[in-house]
Amino acid sequence: MKIRPFIPLLIMLFFNPFLHSQERFRKYPPNPEPFPSLKLPEIESQTLSNGLKISVIRLTKIPVISLQLIIFSGESISPDSLPGLATFTSKMLNRGSLNLSFSEIEKTIDLIGGEYSVKTFPDYTVFSLFFLEEYFDSALELLSQMLLQPTFPRQEIENVKRNMFYDLVSKRNNPEFAGKKLLYQILFKDHTYRKIFFNDDIIKKYSLKNIQMFFNKFYCPNNAHLVLVGNLSLSTASRKISSYLNTWKKQNIETYHFLPPKPLEKTKICFINIPGLKDALIFSGSSLLPKTDPEYFSLIVLNQVLGGTPMSRLFMNLRESKGFAYWAFSEMEFYKSCGIFYIRARVRPDVIHSSVLESLDEIRRISAQRIPVQEIEQAKSYLIGHFPLAIQRYDELASRISEIKALNLNEGHWNKYYENIMYIDSQIVFKSAYNNLLYPPIIVIVGDQDNIIDELLKFKTVEVYDNSGKYLYRLTKEQ
Amino acid sequence: MINKKYLVIVTFLHLALSGFLFAGQEIKNSSFPVTYFQLENGLNVILSEDHSLPVISVMVAYKVGSINEQPSKTGLSYLLENLMFQGSRNVGRMQHISFIQRIGGTLSARTDREKTIFFQTVSSNQMATVLWLEADRMKSLSISYTKVEQVKKAILEEIKQKKSRNLFQNSSLLFDKLLFSDYIYYHPIIGEESDIRNITLKDVFNFHSTYYCPNNAVICITGNIDKQKTIYLIRKYFQSIPAGKPVPAINQSSQMIDLTSKTESITNPLLSTPGFFLGYRISPPYSKDYYTMSVIEYLLLKGESSRLYQRLAKKERTVQKIEGGIRKIKNRAIFSFFVTSTNNYTRNRSKKAILSELNKLKSNVVSENELTKAKNLLKTAYIKRYSTSLGKAFFLIETFLHNKNVQTFQDELNKYLEVTPTSIIGIANRYFNEKSILVNIETK
Repeated sequence: MKIRPFIPLLIMLFFNPFLHSQERFRKYPPNPEPFPSLKLPEIESQTLSNGLKISVIRLTKIPVISLQLIIFSGESISPDSLPGLATFTSKMLNRGSLNLSFSEIEKTIDLIGGEYSVKTFPDYTVFSLFFLEEYFDSALELLSQMLLQPTFPRQEIENVKRNMFYDLVSKRNNPEFAGKKLLYQILFKDHTYRKIFFNDDIIKKYSLKNIQMFFNKFYCPNNAHLVLVGNLSLSTASRKISSYLNTWKKQNIETYHFLPPKPLEKTKICFINIPGLKDALIFSGSSLLPKTDPEYFSLIVLNQVLGGTPMSRLFMNLRESKGFAYWAFSEMEFYKSCGIFYIRARVRPDVIHSSVLESLDEIRRISAQRIPVQEIEQAKSYLIGHFPLAIQRYDELASRISEIKALNLNEGHWNKYYENIMYIDSQIVFKSAYNNLLYPPIIVIVGDQDNIIDELLKFKTVEVYDNSGKYLYRLTKEQ
Repeated sequence: MINKKYLVIVTFLHLALSGFLFAGQEIKNSSFPVTYFQLENGLNVILSEDHSLPVISVMVAYKVGSINEQPSKTGLSYLLENLMFQGSRNVGRMQHISFIQRIGGTLSARTDREKTIFFQTVSSNQMATVLWLEADRMKSLSISYTKVEQVKKAILEEIKQKKSRNLFQNSSLLFDKLLFSDYIYYHPIIGEESDIRNITLKDVFNFHSTYYCPNNAVICITGNIDKQKTIYLIRKYFQSIPAGKPVPAINQSSQMIDLTSKTESITNPLLSTPGFFLGYRISPPYSKDYYTMSVIEYLLLKGESSRLYQRLAKKERTVQKIEGGIRKIKNRAIFSFFVTSTNNYTRNRSKKAILSELNKLKSNVVSENELTKAKNLLKTAYIKRYSTSLGKAFFLIETFLHNKNVQTFQDELNKYLEVTPTSIIGIANRYFNEKSILVNIETK
């Protein structure tokens, strides 16, 4: 027999790794060890005589300090006629003080090796400053300048207005932004959280007078909390902070309590036309319990099973099994008076209707049938495994503490996180799904009307909006 | 038949003893402890313990990137990066990703000019699983015609999308070509479209067997590890992977062709704003002059109060975007600027402003205050690089691949901090000279 024709085959067989023997341990993944205990650093707190609360987390890993100042006032308390004022005021704080111009403030931040940012949430505002530890005094000096002697220069008001305006204009045709904005607008129609999103036409109405009014009313020590992460003790931090901020005057603060929004009575389908959009985006949402509710932990396990990752049900069904979606996830966001649950998916334009039905079916299924134990345990493993990953950086850790302080969460959200997740079982999740997910949702579809009109007409009625959230007309099957 | 019990005992003893013999040396420096050693098959191992959180990062770097590719065979390293997720002997297609995601971990991979890295961060009880996954694809990656063709198709689609998204791609490639002159330094990392189409199964086999072997790799594990146990596991999973042949040296000209000043223009009618790239060759990475150049980078471009950002973006408002700084590949480095402006007039003014700022550096002494500012920003950025387990793994691998001692890296920061105002004048004069490359980007 001639062997030559078989030589390539023999070479292939020789080099084929699958035909060689291998050590037994390579065949299957090793059994994981039990979860290591999570010992989180202690949060030490104190309140100064002017009412300013201080929390310190002492860490010695790197020679930097992450400082976060929380003001317990967010977008929800912007005046009804001036949504966005809380955001605007927060952006003005570093724009000039009695002794320092904006440019000098920027130089000072760079000089301490610093990074500065500000974020306004619905219920609170956080100013973050990250700097080299040897400049703790300089950082506090700068903070006191910004808090005690801000001047809100007119030219800077115009500059911030311009930046904010162009930022919003650039997002107008961003389908994710437009879709989420409309979802919030309708979900929080009669609720103060609708101010989280505002239109660019409101920006011109902000004035020095209303910025000062907002600042004077809410920026006071008894409405603030300083969180510090770094190599420092609570006593040193308090002494220094006190010396720089002792003249920050305490004042009476109005407290606000908002009731959660009323659920919708029936499902509403809305549409935003963005010409030229190749795919379609679907948002489907309803309101939820606040983060302070004990059900929080079962809700996040529930979300993990439903749509937290590409391994979750929505992704596996809409993308892997049906081939409808590029991605499909579910999200939960929690605020002080309520939360929001929504599904978001990017789908093929020819299967919008089927994708919406499949998403709603997944919600019905998870609210009607108990989740198998293995799926629950997998979701819990994910959450427990991921928790420490998200607090590795000093600023991440500081942000987590800031959220706990701002929303007044208990220690279950800090050093009892593992235990709280471990406690959740199928029965508890089932109850949470039944209690929370069955309200009629608001469904927002974003796409190019010319491409998807046939799909839109498969729904009984669709309300059409423009990309700024303005209602245009109603589309019905008969049209 | 071999007695299974006997095999288990012998394997255990062998692993335990060899782990003991190769435990490596630990040097404690002021920031964090680092251990380095090499397995018999040439695999480099770097470990760094930090028990502050129950988290670990595992990073495997293969010393292969686009610099190892030859003309007409570009894109092989990026293709291999993708193929590494398509399954190995005991791990199915994309299962590596699902294993990590299921346990709450994060993962990714990256190919650059010099290296291909795979990294994951997970809860520290999952270390054995990650090592099992990484070892499986190092030992027995499954390469087949179907898989290669699938990956080629996905990459070709990616190239198409990149082209439509990045309208400055052609000008950036032309700029790199003029500045680096050696093909291996400037061809696209993702590969040339025509080359990818022509890649054969044999090409992939050859490239893989040459570069994806333990003697061309480094594994770095950082975070909540028990050092002895980690060494035991590394040996268990990696030491029996056979070493490959010695890795061939890269095919570069021993010296770069001397640069002559050049100005070229490239037109892209799809662009709405004009711009330019301006660049200079500088001294090799981590040479004496390099540290001074890094401080200059911070003076000019880093931080809200940096000279160019203040002048061009804030005062004169002639730029829409200004980016730049040092880029290093292997033993070469460049300093570049990339600017887009609303019209030709502001574009030309921006160019003049940059040149005038470079001239200022050549003749005026930088004030102590401004120098401290630049150094402090650099210091924060340097420290932040090792503030997480993953950041630390990146930091250590980068240090290692540039032939720096991973155990004395702390000295590096001092080299930046020791830069003086006089050295800045000297270095600016030496490198910001007439030998520059300018690529103008025209809209029509």
